Amino acid sequence: MATPIYRAHLMVCGGTSCASENSFGLKKLLEQEIRRRGLEREIAIVTTGCFGFCEACPLILVKPDDIFYTRLRAEDIPYLVEEHFLKGRPVPRLMYHPPEDGRNIARLSDINFFRKQILIAMRNRGIIDPERIEDYIARDGYKALVKALTEMKPEEIIEEIKRSGLRGRGGAGFPTGLKWEYVRAAEGQPKYVVCNGDEGDPGAYMDRSLVEGDPHSILEGMIIGAYAIGASQGFVYIRNEYPLAYHRITKAIEQAREYGLLGEKILGTDFSFDVRVVRGAGAFVCGEETSLIASIEGRLPEPRPRPPYPAQSGLWGKPTCINNVETWANVPVIINRGADWFASIGTELSKGTKVFSVVGKVKTTGLVEVPMGTPLGEIIFDICGGIIKDRKFKAVQIGGPSGGCIPASLLNLPVDYEKLTEAGSMMGSGGMVVMDERSCMVDIAHFFLTFTRDESCGKCSPCREGIPRLLEILTRIREGRAELTDLTLLEDLALMVKESSLCGLGKTAPNPVISTLRYFCEEYEAHIKYKRCPAGVCSHLVSAPCHHTCPIGTEASSYIAFIAHGRFQEAYEVNRLANPLPSVCGRVCHHPCEIFCRAAESDEPISIRALKRFVADWARSNGQKKTIRPVEKKYEKVAIVGSGPAGLMAGWVLAKKGYDVTIFEAEDIPGGMLAWAIPDYRLPKDVLQVEIDDIKALGVNIKTGIRIGKDLSLEDLQKQGFKAIFIATGASKPTRLNIPGEDLPGVIDPIQFLKSVNLKKRAEIGQKVVVVGGGNTAIDAARTAWRLGAQVTILYRRTKNEMPAIRDEIEEALAEGIRMEFLAAPVAAIPVNGRLGKIRAQRMTLMGFDSSGRPRPVPIPGSEFEIEADTLIPAIGQEPDLTVIEGFKGLSLNRDKTFQVDPETKATGIPGIFAGGDAVSGPATVLEAMRDGQIAAESIHRYLRGMSLAREYKPTEPLYEVPPVELPPEEFLELSRPAMPKLSINERRGNFKEVERGFTAEMAVREARRCLRCDLETIRLKRSKS
Amino acid sequence: MPKLTISDLEKLRETAKASIFLRNGGPFRAKITVHMGTCGLAAGARDIMDAFLRLLNEKQIADVILTTSGCAGMCSREPMATIELPGQAPIKYVDLTPEKVNVLFESHVLGGKPVAEFALGLGSERTF
Repeated sequence: MATPIYRAHLMVCGGTSCASENSFGLKKLLEQEIRRRGLEREIAIVTTGCFGFCEACPLILVKPDDIFYTRLRAEDIPYLVEEHFLKGRPVPRLMYHPPEDGRNIARLSDINFFRKQILIAMRNRGIIDPERIEDYIARDGYKALVKALTEMKPEEIIEEIKRSGLRGRGGAGFPTGLKWEYVRAAEGQPKYVVCNGDEGDPGAYMDRSLVEGDPHSILEGMIIGAYAIGASQGFVYIRNEYPLAYHRITKAIEQAREYGLLGEKILGTDFSFDVRVVRGAGAFVCGEETSLIASIEGRLPEPRPRPPYPAQSGLWGKPTCINNVETWANVPVIINRGADWFASIGTELSKGTKVFSVVGKVKTTGLVEVPMGTPLGEIIFDICGGIIKDRKFKAVQIGGPSGGCIPASLLNLPVDYEKLTEAGSMMGSGGMVVMDERSCMVDIAHFFLTFTRDESCGKCSPCREGIPRLLEILTRIREGRAELTDLTLLEDLALMVKESSLCGLGKTAPNPVISTLRYFCEEYEAHIKYKRCPAGVCSHLVSAPCHHTCPIGTEASSYIAFIAHGRFQEAYEVNRLANPLPSVCGRVCHHPCEIFCRAAESDEPISIRALKRFVADWARSNGQKKTIRPVEKKYEKVAIVGSGPAGLMAGWVLAKKGYDVTIFEAEDIPGGMLAWAIPDYRLPKDVLQVEIDDIKALGVNIKTGIRIGKDLSLEDLQKQGFKAIFIATGASKPTRLNIPGEDLPGVIDPIQFLKSVNLKKRAEIGQKVVVVGGGNTAIDAARTAWRLGAQVTILYRRTKNEMPAIRDEIEEALAEGIRMEFLAAPVAAIPVNGRLGKIRAQRMTLMGFDSSGRPRPVPIPGSEFEIEADTLIPAIGQEPDLTVIEGFKGLSLNRDKTFQVDPETKATGIPGIFAGGDAVSGPATVLEAMRDGQIAAESIHRYLRGMSLAREYKPTEPLYEVPPVELPPEEFLELSRPAMPKLSINERRGNFKEVERGFTAEMAVREARRCLRCDLETIRLKRSKS
Repeated sequence: MPKLTISDLEKLRETAKASIFLRNGGPFRAKITVHMGTCGLAAGARDIMDAFLRLLNEKQIADVILTTSGCAGMCSREPMATIELPGQAPIKYVDLTPEKVNVLFESHVLGGKPVAEFALGLGSERTF
């Protein structure tokens, strides 16, 4: 019988994910088009199993070229057939485009996701048609069975599996060979083998994919296992909600019977064995082996105590060997290639590979098979591309509801059974749910516990009663009604349920609680103590995430709502409620509100910062000043040292309360970093001046040119009758690079440089400027030097993704032509004729992760290179200048020379003296400094009024109840985040004109109408309560 | 299909291997590229492709890549095909006919001996 030879095989993905994206429909279309073009004898179309690349479904792989087409639509097919299969021109536009990267990748083998995987269980992925036994046989299928039946005694097979180190892939990791040995040795006939395909973890689908994609590999494993232990009957237990898997395994069994690979006298030997498929109704507890046995027997699926284990007494009381889908799929390869080969892959106690289904907030979701011991960070970042929209990785839940979460500090963890258990998680079946900074860990624990509560069979009371009690506590925490003692109760109860439940479901159900408590205790405390949900999720605490996550509590949702109605005056008033510097913030805020904005879930976040700026500018140009008169003069004198954002904020809050406030500023102009570090092109000084004048008009006295610690001491201030002092002196002393040549002429301090340009509009720099660092100061210095006409290069030791500077600033710097050498760090500044002439740098590579989860840069030996430079600006960090405490004793400092304060009140150890801003936190953002000023001002007020400093915390609620706008669906679909109008690059060189031009009123209204109005739910709740 | 013995299974495996050979990623005996731009098609490239494919089927040869490309830029010498054996320079053949294909297939693809009289010269563009 001649085999038809084709010139190409089109492998069309026929897994459930692709099928749900119409891959079967596409296949029909493809067949039609291929026929229409007369290519049906040249090109074969094959349905294959899941590629595991579920991010980009539906997929076609063209063999032998290995060209990979993704996200295909019906309308693409005629063009694809004409271009590639008729004319021989592969179509780049239909190939895979990695997210946030314009270039397409033609070949599957060049895609990072596939390149790093090693396939054992999924060895036939994308190569065979799972419904054709011949395809499986062609890939050495049933060869291991022949070897086992003809060359090996059952004991030798068991020995081989034992030596391979294969352990159960269903979660518990019990050594497979040992289990087989127990069943073989057990008394009683007949014996059974079972394939546990009851995959129930939310987010896990590797077993489904294996059954759908390669059913014969599971059957072959089972037949070998049955022969080894002496079983005559097998069962494959599949969830009913996996219809395609059921269909494929049923068909595979029919084919195997027809070929004599199942049934009487297999392959003409004396061994007989058959398999039946049992469909499960989808109860999670059926994944537990004793429940699964009950379910196959037709009883209610409830677990029973073990021992006896199923190996002694399983199905109908007979010895039964239960293994997971993936475990069975590994068996033929071990027999074929030998235990030594298998054991050479993996770690000491965990051998071979493991399939993970990686879902959640990663760029590429899908099925990943990697050697045991692969570092967690490699799976999430190198293979799956990292976090969507380059947000911050927070944690990964491994092992589904039975597993635990692993935080960013453990990204170097080698993933194997032991290491995961040590870290408080477990392998489980291998589900990985990746979470970013927008995921609340209390909410996550609540989610998984809701699942296990619903799935608990109710037989034993710790699980039946304990899980709902745990949930009640979690609910109290999410709603802000819990006490700190609830955390102890939560932990005790979780441990009790874990220890005393009857089966694996109850024993593991508390794991999400225990692990989140272990790694994210602060987040629990934030909910309980501060009524804060840092991820902006828990609706009873949050109102709108923009409002909740604003460091100074700006009611952004309300001003956006007013803008949407065109009510700009009210929008401005909302803006001014907690903020004396809205025009400043509208320009330079790092806008955490936009990170947590819920519109970003399906679209882009609302341009909250730009909207703030729009109303502030509107008010300024309309002469709208909202000077709030002091409520009641209280006359106590308060001194504030430093007129940066922290000092200005504190002064404004205290003056509103009626205090007599004096701000002492060492420089000649007020504003601190706002005035002399942030360049004019980001924050024009007249804009700042208007808002500072407004603060002065409120009665705040600003004395410039007085350096506390030099001109006057803190003690002098006390003697002058200042009853409270707030130290907000910032952090302006640059951190040293500690490289040779650092003190050469030509090496300059970034803050002095920016100050000189800001105040005097000039600075001594050369033509070839190198800036070192990736923060906002580095970018500001680079863009400023560029405006002065220099050629600028930034050296940064990590990559663009890790730069801490505001993203837009980095993009603008690149657009302006500033060269960025990523993965490079300076090692020496080299003199030429007595001044800086060159910089020697070395290349870095990212290897593993540091304790905060950032990739760790490591120098590459021998990679040194030189850059010509006449100016070096090291901008790698700043520390506080401690002049302020000269001549004054008693204030405690941290090791990094920042001031020690009580974080809740900003009180130092000396009564009446408070500190905040960068002087306490080290270099941070304008808004964080303002928040410190706000907190310190409230504390000073309580201190001066003789009240306890302890703060009262409340859930976030809007003061304003702005009605929603009418938004017809067609308008909503049209709305999109507008681009900020900006000066062209040519218009920027040689001057310091503001780059961002701001929204027009029309743009602002349209953008504000796109807001999802998360606050409305809180308004509704508030109304229903009152 | 009757029940298989072990030797039946091994025989079946051999045939089955041929039917999926293209999916395994090699090693391939040869790569044949038929130029099928508009000019090639007008000059009869379709017949050339059919002839190669017929030969592969007749002789049951699974380990040869038969692929297409667009116009090679020498429209007057179509139909054209390029044959490349592992480790050897690709050779472009011009003014092809199904009869010439028979000769090329026997001599160059199967025998490893290029046919100088049909050849344009050495070298080829990359297919993609």
